[in-house]
Amino acid sequence: MNSTTDRQAAAAIPGSQAGGWRAVAPLAVILAYLAATAYVAQSDLGLQNLVLVAAVFGILAISLDLVAGMLGLYSLGQGGFFGIGAYATTILANDYGWNVYGLLVLVLVAAGLVGVAVGAMSLRVSGLYFAITTFIFTLVLTVLATDMVNVTGGLQGLLGPAFPDFPSGLRWLGSPLVWCTMAGLLLCLVLVWNIRHSPFYPILLSIRDAEPFAEAAGARTAAIKVGVFGVSAAMAGGAGWLFSFLGVVSPSQFDWSVSLNVLVMVLIGGINTTIGPVIGAMFVSMFPNVVNINPWLQEIVYGALSILAITLLPDGVVGVVKRLLAPLIGGAAPVTGIVTIEEPSATAIVPAPAIPSTGSEIVVECRGIEFGYGLGPKVLRNVDLAVQRGHIHGLIGPNGSGKSTLANVISGRLTPHAGQVLVKGTRVDGMPASSRSKLGLRRTFQAAQLVKELTPTQNVMVGLFDRVPRIVGRAAFWPMLASGRRDMAAMHRRSAETLALVGAGEWTSRQVGDVPHGIEQLTQLASVCVAGPDVIVLDEPATGLSAKEVRHLATILANLKSQGVTMIIIEHQTRFLFPLCDRVTVLNAGEVILTGSADEVRADPVVRQVYLGE
Amino acid sequence: MLQFLLSGIAIGSIYGLIGMALAISFYVTRIINFAQGQLMMVTVMITAELVSSGYPVWLAAAAGLAASCIIGVLSYLIAVRPILLSNRFSFGWLVSTLGFAVIVENAAAYVWGPTSQAFPPILNNISVPIGNAVLTGQQLLAIATAAILAAGFEIVRRYTLFGKLGMATAADPEMASAIGANTTVVAIVAFAVSAAFAGIAGLLIGPTTFANPYLGDTFGTYGFIAMMIGGGTERPIAAMFGGLVLGVCAEGANGLINSQASDWFPFIVLVVILIVSPKGLFSASNPLFRPRRPAAASR
Repeated sequence: MNSTTDRQAAAAIPGSQAGGWRAVAPLAVILAYLAATAYVAQSDLGLQNLVLVAAVFGILAISLDLVAGMLGLYSLGQGGFFGIGAYATTILANDYGWNVYGLLVLVLVAAGLVGVAVGAMSLRVSGLYFAITTFIFTLVLTVLATDMVNVTGGLQGLLGPAFPDFPSGLRWLGSPLVWCTMAGLLLCLVLVWNIRHSPFYPILLSIRDAEPFAEAAGARTAAIKVGVFGVSAAMAGGAGWLFSFLGVVSPSQFDWSVSLNVLVMVLIGGINTTIGPVIGAMFVSMFPNVVNINPWLQEIVYGALSILAITLLPDGVVGVVKRLLAPLIGGAAPVTGIVTIEEPSATAIVPAPAIPSTGSEIVVECRGIEFGYGLGPKVLRNVDLAVQRGHIHGLIGPNGSGKSTLANVISGRLTPHAGQVLVKGTRVDGMPASSRSKLGLRRTFQAAQLVKELTPTQNVMVGLFDRVPRIVGRAAFWPMLASGRRDMAAMHRRSAETLALVGAGEWTSRQVGDVPHGIEQLTQLASVCVAGPDVIVLDEPATGLSAKEVRHLATILANLKSQGVTMIIIEHQTRFLFPLCDRVTVLNAGEVILTGSADEVRADPVVRQVYLGE
Repeated sequence: MLQFLLSGIAIGSIYGLIGMALAISFYVTRIINFAQGQLMMVTVMITAELVSSGYPVWLAAAAGLAASCIIGVLSYLIAVRPILLSNRFSFGWLVSTLGFAVIVENAAAYVWGPTSQAFPPILNNISVPIGNAVLTGQQLLAIATAAILAAGFEIVRRYTLFGKLGMATAADPEMASAIGANTTVVAIVAFAVSAAFAGIAGLLIGPTTFANPYLGDTFGTYGFIAMMIGGGTERPIAAMFGGLVLGVCAEGANGLINSQASDWFPFIVLVVILIVSPKGLFSASNPLFRPRRPAAASR
């Protein structure tokens, strides 16, 4: 809702001083790439073939890294999509005489759609089962290619179509296939480089490492996963299209061991890096040509090398190079400082004042919530809760009384079996967690859900996901768009500012994995505040904080309240909670036993008995 | 009809044994050992080699099993342990166990050549008529062995302290080692047992297939399908049921559709089963057998 003002503000920022150098470097790299392509396109067929195979597998490896590196989806289906591309091109071009460029479009769309279907099906299960389901997909396709002898030529395979020549005016350029393949590889590299430099990247990593966090920020994680998997499948299909021009297309070139070899390439080169997969692909595909010995011995050496690489270099070649270069660049020298938390700012933490408070309007309401896990006993029984605008509403109760479950029901992680949840009068039960964000409701987690390998600033940027338009749509060419660079600068600045406002301004450039627990909690809080929410659900925000940090947190929460933000706080530390609260609800064994002011709750005999321990 | 059923159960118990072998190492370490089929092949090759140089069959078979146990433990120490030590949730083992499989398979092809060699018939020469069907003694031996091994494994897993140690390691290795379990020993034993299961499957199928260095590929894949059909990733014994389903489907397809149908029919069965119940037919989450649990909150 504040994006327009942001963009106006961002436009006023002068360009960074290193801008000139940054513009020239990519240009130089691309020119060198084109020169190398021109050289290969005019050299002998042996070298051409070596480079072509490496480039095709490079595209395949990039397609795998897109899902494995950025989303943690270890797909073993890349061999299958690769095969779809190659077989479709070969059969339709040879037997039906279709135009090969038209086929490229067809193959990209077809492989992408199959990818979306396979992704939607296998994403019901996560992690290892995703790998297994996609593995089976490849297995089934290989069996089909082997057994449908009439169409696919069985084990012998088919001879691929010829690649059309350049028009006569361009013949001097050399082999058209080399140009086309290298252009394809360059496109894929630019695509993933762009995504890595867009605000979509922290979102992807948060879906990989902290899915509830991404959902709470408004990202429809399942749709994003399926979509990115579709793009990856289309890329693999495109690689198959290129591969069909290299000679014979047969089942053994697409079976599951190919899928695994692509994973070897990604892991050897360096997972979640732009150039790593290509380096790995070069190594693996050129290996048989470089090590020219008895084929069995050669395989044995290959097996041994892949084990060594994976055990000794878990970050791959790129990871090693980065570690060697780090001291030379002098970038991230670890600071050995004491843990410092700056005083939170007295100025408004939430960027824009929320909709002006209008007296005693109810913003969050639960009516008759029933919920139970599996077949076990009900965890919530007929729970009613009404939170007024601008209030801090405490939620207390013994362990196991259903507080966190209620928070998960309100924020959409769980769907209640019965009852209604209303946010600002809109019924939200039954809607996914990501829908809450648009209504201005955000939440924090008891165990901070953050991406450890990103900085706090980047993590806070995740919170801006649905405050900046078309992050997903623009991701593929983000750094090339003026609007993209402007939005990125604005998001970065706003995130850093919010971190400073909650008192974590000194920690913006470290990785979250290296910061202390208190800073993690503040980062989490900043990622919520940055979006300017009306309602925040805080699940045990003071857990594990020192006494000083708890006081710090209380100051921040009081500041938020003074700006009209409504809060629901689950907490055990009543000494911290009660002074902040307007209303307190006490849960016990899944039922509300009392709602009242802090003093009423403190005085109630039943509460004293079940909770305060008398 | 009875013939399909019985020969299906016979070949299915062999698939089931390999599936259980995969499931046992998965149970303890949460990794799939892609070298499992190759461990079976090692037993077959060593047994064939020793018998052809004049040793008695039982001694050769014992040596073959011992060899595959040793290589199985090596596969854990070389290809699995270093990776799980650095990051228990990484997927590097996909690569390293495949690398190990490549090494074993090509070493065998280098030593013995890619062609098949003779394998002792064991009980393959005896025919036993059952109703209007005929089974060989070897097939009956396969069924009996598989039943005994599967039942024995389940009893050990459920009712002995070591079996419970295995369960504890499977559930949470860090917790298990905190209460004093030596998780490395548990894992080594699991890999040795799983290699023995694969090796025994090899001895049971060897008289039919003969000794070939590339046996591991085919049977490793079928064992994997057996595990996935059954849901062996949750309980190893489910892989045996999956193997039986797979065997009967393959034999039935061969007889009732055409002679090549066993190449593709099991895959169709697998895909259908995974669409209905993604974790396998005999898993706790099968919606057909048990009420579906609502999605739980993040762990």
